[in-house]
Amino acid sequence: MAFQPKTPSRHRSRSEAKTPLTPSLVSQLNAISFNGSPTKGGGRAPSDLTNPFLANASRSTSPIKRATSSAIPSHESFQKQANTGVIRKGGIESRLDVITRDYVPPPQAATAAKPEVKRSRSQPTRDTRDRFITSRDTVDDVAANLDMMSLNPQSTSPGHTARLAAATGVPLNRRILAYHEAPPPSASDSLLSQQRELVRPLYGRPGALPTSTSTSSKTRKISTQPERVLDAPGIVDDFYLNLLSWSCQNLLAVALAESSYVWRADSGEVVQLGEAPEGTYISAVDFANDGNFLGVGIGSGEVELWDVETQKKLRTMAGHSSQVACLSWNQHILSSGCGDGSIWHHDVRVARHKVGELLGHQGEVCGLKWRTDGELLASGGNDNVVNVWDGRVGDVGAAGSRGVAKWTKRNHTAAVKAIAWCPWQPSLLASGGGTNDATVHIWNTTTGARLHSLTTPSQVTSIQWSPHRKEFLTTHGYPTNALMIHSYPSMERVVEIRDAHDSRVLWSTLSPAGDVVCTGAGDENLKFWRVWEVPKVKKGKDGKEASSRSSTSSNILSIR
Amino acid sequence: MATKQAPTRQAITLKGSTNLVTEFFKYAANTILFQRGVYPADDFHMVKKYGQTVLVTQDLALENYLEKILKQVNKWLLTGSVTQLVLAIISKDSRTTMERWVFDINLVEPAAGDGPAPAKPETEIQAEIRNILKQIVSTVTFLPVIDEPTVFNILAYTSESADIPADEWVDTDPLAIEAGKSQQVKLRSFSTDVHRIEAMVAYRYEG
Repeated sequence: MAFQPKTPSRHRSRSEAKTPLTPSLVSQLNAISFNGSPTKGGGRAPSDLTNPFLANASRSTSPIKRATSSAIPSHESFQKQANTGVIRKGGIESRLDVITRDYVPPPQAATAAKPEVKRSRSQPTRDTRDRFITSRDTVDDVAANLDMMSLNPQSTSPGHTARLAAATGVPLNRRILAYHEAPPPSASDSLLSQQRELVRPLYGRPGALPTSTSTSSKTRKISTQPERVLDAPGIVDDFYLNLLSWSCQNLLAVALAESSYVWRADSGEVVQLGEAPEGTYISAVDFANDGNFLGVGIGSGEVELWDVETQKKLRTMAGHSSQVACLSWNQHILSSGCGDGSIWHHDVRVARHKVGELLGHQGEVCGLKWRTDGELLASGGNDNVVNVWDGRVGDVGAAGSRGVAKWTKRNHTAAVKAIAWCPWQPSLLASGGGTNDATVHIWNTTTGARLHSLTTPSQVTSIQWSPHRKEFLTTHGYPTNALMIHSYPSMERVVEIRDAHDSRVLWSTLSPAGDVVCTGAGDENLKFWRVWEVPKVKKGKDGKEASSRSSTSSNILSIR
Repeated sequence: MATKQAPTRQAITLKGSTNLVTEFFKYAANTILFQRGVYPADDFHMVKKYGQTVLVTQDLALENYLEKILKQVNKWLLTGSVTQLVLAIISKDSRTTMERWVFDINLVEPAAGDGPAPAKPETEIQAEIRNILKQIVSTVTFLPVIDEPTVFNILAYTSESADIPADEWVDTDPLAIEAGKSQQVKLRSFSTDVHRIEAMVAYRYEG
């Protein structure tokens, strides 16, 4: 807390005062002061007059005396002056010039004048007088003072001092110190932050809003809580399998690893239907359209046919080389999609069951759906392709006849597992892609045109159309694990139920009444969501059909 | 450091003012390290300070490192032997200085003549500090984008007579940026009744 904090300008002025050690230098500085003075105007006249004396005075005074009078500061001043000199050469002259010219000369004049008048004057007073331009009229003193003050910020500017030190490399009466250790490198795992960067796009997708489990439904209220939760221990957490099916007789089939179970929605009773052969597992289940038979796909490639009523296996249809991950019925034809990319039609009535083979996928077939009228079959594969096949080809031809896809779409950029036919407009097909795609495309299967596309926040694992509303439901995987309902054809989001399951929602199936959707996920839960309502108008119109359809809902309610 | 007990008295004593200034350096250094991306953003968490949110590192090693430096700076401030603190941002690979954040520390001279000046209210000081921190944040808009890994270094400019722990602090290069290649922007300043801190940033700019 020494003298240091005082304004450097004072230091400077003092240093200039010491310069007369060498007369030649003094004369030079005088010259500078001359140059500077005309700009200041007539007020400078006295200083000009004293100049000649200055040279004399400085010569007359013995340098030694000067030096002794204040040894240390002069030493310091030398450094400073040297520094300033170097800086000027360095090329940042402009500002420095302004500073020196503006206020260096006056102190010189002062020192020059003073020794004449009062040699013996003490140091402090000279110092204080040095700061101001004493040669001016006393009236002007105040103004001069202000001048100095306005100059101060400039001279004390960090940049100036920094540059001084930088240019000279000689610290001015100060030391530059650094802590002996280098700062520690970042401890956070660079790999982890890289991973975060990779995941970020998942969250950056349109629709991936920070709001969660919010119902934005303007038209109606949809419960974001499941109506019922069933435990499904051991259910295989595999995206490519299809382990849920809900029959028109209101039975829900679910495959838990190697066992298949049937849950009666009207009574809540659970029956174990059967087990897969030793050492393998069930990879797909699908109810026949009449609900009497259950097709079961096995991990080793067989397709089994089970009678639901008697809980007996009727036959095993072998032939596939790898896992049968999806099944779809059309009357007596059971179509199976295989891990090798082939789709077979099995006629369950005849001994030589294989009546057709559709080859159009390079990757595993993971989505397969017959249109309800049996005209068209849609399939989606792990090769990101959607195929639509003419249903008659495999059916009519001789055993082993090969079909050709009616059309093939390669718009998806990830595995197409979600495939759904629209129940109220037969030509509409919805398909949804996996993690890298997360897009739903709606196709006109008659023309093959893509009608709509919808980008969703995450992987589309299944699609269900509402039979009664112009809406469809999609289920999603990581990171939202959501159920979403979109309206058609506006493709607006009706509702999003975030974190419907604790892990990715993999399967969904619609109740025969079309009001409740059952979803399954890797968290070993089956959840039932009442997302749609059975329209009452329909109930009144044809009572029979409506009553049989609405049985699901009423029975579920009665169980509770 | 800064406690809430005597908020109005703090700024007028040397010790209190020193603590205020040291604390300011802590937050200023953290803000710079975050804003200039010297450390990954993951390492920082938000803290309420000076009536605004400040990002402060939660990397223990860095926290301790800054703590050690600031402890010494605090001592120097008490003896008045530190005149300038510089946070230099250096390219990790080429070791060239990219930016120099300079904080000049001046002792405020008591106003001559009209007796002791009224103590500066703490709220005013805080507002000034807040303004500097905000300015540091806003410098991102004009500072050149640094797209290479960087490290930082803190330099203390002390007087010759300063008491220096010999094994911890060493004389060093000023890490200056060549005059022709640097641009400078003066930032706001703040002052307590004892100290006056002026901030400036110099950065490498070869337009």
